[in-house]
Amino acid sequence: MKTHSLLIAFVCAGIGCATTAPTELVDAREAYRRASTGPAVQAAPAELHVANQALAEAEQSFRDNPDSYQTRDLAYVAQRKAQLAEATASISIEQKSQAKSKDDLQTAQGTAVAKTKQDLGRTRTALAASERNGEATAEKLSAEQEARAAAEKRAADAQAALAKLAAVKDEPRGMVITLSGSVLFASNRAVLLPEARTRLDQVAEVLLTTRERHLIVEGYTDSQGSVNYNLDLSQRRADAVRSYLVERGYQGDLIQARGFGKDSPIANNARAEGRANNRRVEIVIEHEPRASNP
Amino acid sequence: MKRAFKHQKEDSMRHIFKFATMAFAMAVAATTIVAGCASAPPLRTEASASGIRAAEEVGAAKVPQASLHLQLAKEEMENAKALAAKDQKGMAVSMLSRSEADAELAVALSREDAEKAEARAAVDRVRQFRQENK
Repeated sequence: MKTHSLLIAFVCAGIGCATTAPTELVDAREAYRRASTGPAVQAAPAELHVANQALAEAEQSFRDNPDSYQTRDLAYVAQRKAQLAEATASISIEQKSQAKSKDDLQTAQGTAVAKTKQDLGRTRTALAASERNGEATAEKLSAEQEARAAAEKRAADAQAALAKLAAVKDEPRGMVITLSGSVLFASNRAVLLPEARTRLDQVAEVLLTTRERHLIVEGYTDSQGSVNYNLDLSQRRADAVRSYLVERGYQGDLIQARGFGKDSPIANNARAEGRANNRRVEIVIEHEPRASNP
Repeated sequence: MKRAFKHQKEDSMRHIFKFATMAFAMAVAATTIVAGCASAPPLRTEASASGIRAAEEVGAAKVPQASLHLQLAKEEMENAKALAAKDQKGMAVSMLSRSEADAELAVALSREDAEKAEARAAVDRVRQFRQENK
């Protein structure tokens, strides 16, 4: 029908029909041509068919009565029908676009919900792990507190025991056990006397109850003799005590030996008694336990 | 003389009668014509009027293209009424078909505009949601 209508129009134009088509009919033909080559073919076929019929009616009227008002009005209506088909097609297309956007939005929302659920699941897992970790930390903390309390008790017990063996003093640098030099060594010697070993055995027994503590064995002399001599003697005496304690089982990397010579006297070197007191070995038990250095 | 006067009088009477008869016939004819016109069905504008009303209700006046066809529909309906008043029924009915077609198109163009706007809004909603949930 479409082809038939257009064919008539072209033939008339080609052979120069006596009557020129009215403007309304020309416009109607163009409107139908545009509509029939656009989206209306697929999206508004019914409306396009109606437009085709309207154009055919107008063409027939034009053939029957070219200059009549009926022809012009029919052509006018045919043009409007073609425009209506285009508008209807556009409506259909826009509605499909809305439907697609709605689907896209639902898909995006679904994805977001799934992601949120995943994140929530991960957060819950992490929270549960954190809670378990917290419980483990609490348990560990409690165990550490118990261990610390036990260590402090041992230290207190050791201090009490040491106090029975030697002079013990709690100083900022640690608990200091002072052993008389004359008890440990012969004069100007750095070899432990037999009775010194007995005393050191008792000290070692106590010290081993605080095995984790870092010890510093410090050797001191009186002021008699040269500086170098006293430094050397005090160092060798400190080494001797250290070696004995290590033999007795104390961890070697936790115990150091230092000689200070005549430095840090605790008594008056002008008097014999004072010099005797200055000739000493001090074992410093540091307050905080330190990890052993490999 | 009396005879001639009598003949003249009779001729005048015949003329008057003839005239009266003609006048009567014309009056009868005129009455018939008038009676015939008075009984002709009125122009049916309901379809056009309801089409125009529908276009106004969907807001065609606010959409440029739709507004144009709404205005055309109104003018064409008035033209049809005027033609009917001039006893040009055929042209009036034909003009009404224009009015109905323009009103129908005004409704469709108004709907098309609304659907386009809604489609744009739907696309914007998707874009915005995706941006917010990256």
